[in-house]
Amino acid sequence: MRREELIANIMVLIFLLGIIFYFSLPLTWLILSSLDPGATTPEFRIPSRISLENYARLVEPVGKVPPYRWIINSLIIATASATLTTIVSLLAAFVFTRYSFRGQQSMLTAFVIFRLIPPLLIALPLMTLFKMWNLMNSMQALILVLSALVMPFTLLMMESCFRSIPVTYEEAAMTDGCSRLGAFLRVTLPLAAPGLVSVWLLAFVYSWGEFIIPLMIIKLPELYPAAVGLYFFFGQYGRIEYGKLSAFSIVYAIPMVIIFFITQKYLQRGIAGLVSR
Amino acid sequence: MQKRSLTSSLLDRIVTIFEGGFARLLLVPALAFIGIFVVFPLVWSVILSFTDYSLIGRRAVEWGFIGFTNYIRILSDTVFRDSVINSFLFTIFSALIGQAFLGLAIALVVRMKLPEGPLGTVLKILKVIAVTLVFISWVIPEVIAGYAWAAITEKGGLLTKLLGLEERLYLTRPLETIIISNIWRGTAFSMILFMAALESIPNYIYEAAEIDGATPWQRFRHIVLPLIAHAIIVDFILITIWTFGVFTIPFIILREQPSILWTLYVYTKATSIYEPARAAAAANIMFIIVLALIIVYLKLLGRLRGWS
Repeated sequence: MRREELIANIMVLIFLLGIIFYFSLPLTWLILSSLDPGATTPEFRIPSRISLENYARLVEPVGKVPPYRWIINSLIIATASATLTTIVSLLAAFVFTRYSFRGQQSMLTAFVIFRLIPPLLIALPLMTLFKMWNLMNSMQALILVLSALVMPFTLLMMESCFRSIPVTYEEAAMTDGCSRLGAFLRVTLPLAAPGLVSVWLLAFVYSWGEFIIPLMIIKLPELYPAAVGLYFFFGQYGRIEYGKLSAFSIVYAIPMVIIFFITQKYLQRGIAGLVSR
Repeated sequence: MQKRSLTSSLLDRIVTIFEGGFARLLLVPALAFIGIFVVFPLVWSVILSFTDYSLIGRRAVEWGFIGFTNYIRILSDTVFRDSVINSFLFTIFSALIGQAFLGLAIALVVRMKLPEGPLGTVLKILKVIAVTLVFISWVIPEVIAGYAWAAITEKGGLLTKLLGLEERLYLTRPLETIIISNIWRGTAFSMILFMAALESIPNYIYEAAEIDGATPWQRFRHIVLPLIAHAIIVDFILITIWTFGVFTIPFIILREQPSILWTLYVYTKATSIYEPARAAAAANIMFIIVLALIIVYLKLLGRLRGWS
């Protein structure tokens, strides 16, 4: 190895160690404190004994509600809204890719704009509207809102997924006597299945992590999704039990990490699509 | 002849109903969802900003229009002005300088050719660990990220201790704290984007340059940079839009110091009983800025893809 090359590689080594150090800081603390039964303050310490006590204590109520309840709420909310979004945007994407109509292009542009609007700008008027419509603390309403908010995103994803499948397959089926929707359902849909799954998973992830919307429209602790529960647990409740909170965070984070590793390929392809010319 | 199953013929029955003009009806549910829960609230926000609506009391029912009063109040509020300036600083430092720069650096390192032997193996393992950690930081729920950063910047917290400080980091240096936490949070997007952009540069271009004796810096400056310029622009605009609207992580870290960013300012006003209408006015002003950024992005995307 030449000298300059060695120096370059050592610089890369230092850089990588720096990155690993920086990015592992909060995660290290989360994991260590969740395993430390004595972690009651944010003070950093090496646990004197490792145990899963904090995890087991998630069934003990905080206020009146046991934290695991918030995870169950999140599961219900995210599953329902992901399913709803997938079905509704599947129907719309079918029309978008198989028919042409006036205003089609401007609708797609509008979806791109909606996808980029900060959710706070929608959460604020929604809160006042929900107060007037008496929809505060309604889990059903929350499911509908979350479905709608992720829809511009899932619709565009689904649209590009259907577009990537040649229409000629469907035309062949139609020549053989299939109706248009029949051909779509029997030919294109099975081919698009992996894309559909990733749309569902992304919608799930969105609702699973969303914070500001439920924060503003759900005020009853027993109805909190995990995100708001964690905040309530942390921000509003007298004495903070850090170990238990960290254990809760880890339980809450795991499904998301798993889903992202499954969908990593789609995600990378989606992001790569932004820069392809 | 092929025997057809019952479900299949039933499906055909339904299908025929939806054929022709009826198919467009399938758009209705999606448009209704987006219309009711996205478009209408945005329109309502504009109406709300001209009223004296309050969350409880008489004004919650009998509100009326008061013209531009809310806008005048907001624009003359120095807290609002400071929060907007801070939001710009936050965006410049955490997104444009932090995330984009780190993301590009990591992507370049990942792309580098590694030497043979033990050093190469070590670097390879470290590369995988680093990319995985960056990725995980991006995918865990935002609330957890906020909580973890709040805890490590507390008195005696991991980061505060490492820096040898006595006081809570997030209280003494709030803006810096949310900037480093946001770099941590968002670098993955830029990293993945640049990895994809670098991937699209064919190897022979590098090799040709190497044979011609170009130094690594020359190769970066004259080959890589021009070829990924469009990716850098797309990245800059997207992370600017996102970072400008960031709410959750700073909100959770800075529980005791609201209003440092415009998003936190809007939230504080929105939840204080008499000021939701004023919050709407502030939100609308910011919406115009965000919309301008989005339009720039769309124009650019159109040019890159040659539609416009």
